[in-house]
Amino acid sequence: MDQPRTDEDQQLVARTQSGDASAFDQLVVKYTPRLYGLVYNMTSNHEDTNDLLQDVFSKAYKAIRGFRGKSSFYTWIHSIAVNMTLNFLKKRGRRYHLSLDDVDSSVQNDKEFLELTASSSPVREVDLSELQKRLNEAMMKLSEEHRAVVTMFHIQGMPHAEISKILRVSEGTVRSRLFYANRQLQNYLDEFRKNPVA
Amino acid sequence: MDEFNDNEIGKLLRLKRYEQPPPGYFENFLHEFHRRQRDELLREPLWKICLQRAQDFMFRLNVPALTSYPVAAAAVLVCAAIISLKIYQGPETTTQVAAQDRQTFTVPASVEGEWTLASPVATRVFTAQPIRKSNESVHTHRATTAPPRYVLDSVPVSYETALRF
Repeated sequence: MDQPRTDEDQQLVARTQSGDASAFDQLVVKYTPRLYGLVYNMTSNHEDTNDLLQDVFSKAYKAIRGFRGKSSFYTWIHSIAVNMTLNFLKKRGRRYHLSLDDVDSSVQNDKEFLELTASSSPVREVDLSELQKRLNEAMMKLSEEHRAVVTMFHIQGMPHAEISKILRVSEGTVRSRLFYANRQLQNYLDEFRKNPVA
Repeated sequence: MDEFNDNEIGKLLRLKRYEQPPPGYFENFLHEFHRRQRDELLREPLWKICLQRAQDFMFRLNVPALTSYPVAAAAVLVCAAIISLKIYQGPETTTQVAAQDRQTFTVPASVEGEWTLASPVATRVFTAQPIRKSNESVHTHRATTAPPRYVLDSVPVSYETALRF
């Protein structure tokens, strides 16, 4: 997934810093869908995601005066979102319930979806909504840090370098977390495939 | 049956991009954000709002860029010098003024008990002693044993004449 143009963001940030609130509105509109995906895939709950996103933008608005542009606005707002979500998940602990968003019907035209369902892969054998549920359950079994890396890499399509900047860890740490998370997800999904009613 | 491999897990996870919030969610998000901002502002105490406005003002003036440690240190020294001057000069002048005030506004003790037509403001307000003793107030003109008390028109209440038409 392409990173949004940073020069446009810089202009909007500068306008916000000089008191133009409508410039921040443009940033909110621009980043809401992307941050929604990030937070939702870490929480698996729509209401929590909504509250967190509101808090993220509120915090960003208060802190934007102190934003000096050492990193891009993209990295900065993602860092706020990830950190706030990780803090929230640590407080919430294991008390959660899945609230799945509807899968957009355009998924059926997706090239990867067609490949997965047409080939002789195990995906053919299971219902899509059931698989979505199982996948979210498997995601929730990962630790918060591993889930964050999986979400950013696989779902959001971010490169390792960008993830390392957002999480402020080395690229090696990102890669090792991703490897470990993939192994865990593989085990959970294989278990489900072997025993679908469990 | 095949097992899920890394590639398939990656593909499956990428399909999660198609999980979308309820229709109209993104359109309403900004309105909801504004509403919450207003609510938050209303809940904040007045001093905090004023402080925030002041910070905004300072930020627009770019005061932090103008300030530096030497400037701050110089400002502290100047303030300290002014305060020390005030402290050393202050006590003499204040005692003189206090002495003058005492001479001007105090009332001799002998006068205190007597009745006078002089302005009560000039003579009595600044005295340390109360104008009237507290036990005087318990006696009224109705007390038969007490001498007649005078009111402002200097006529004893008991001698007031009835209204004549």
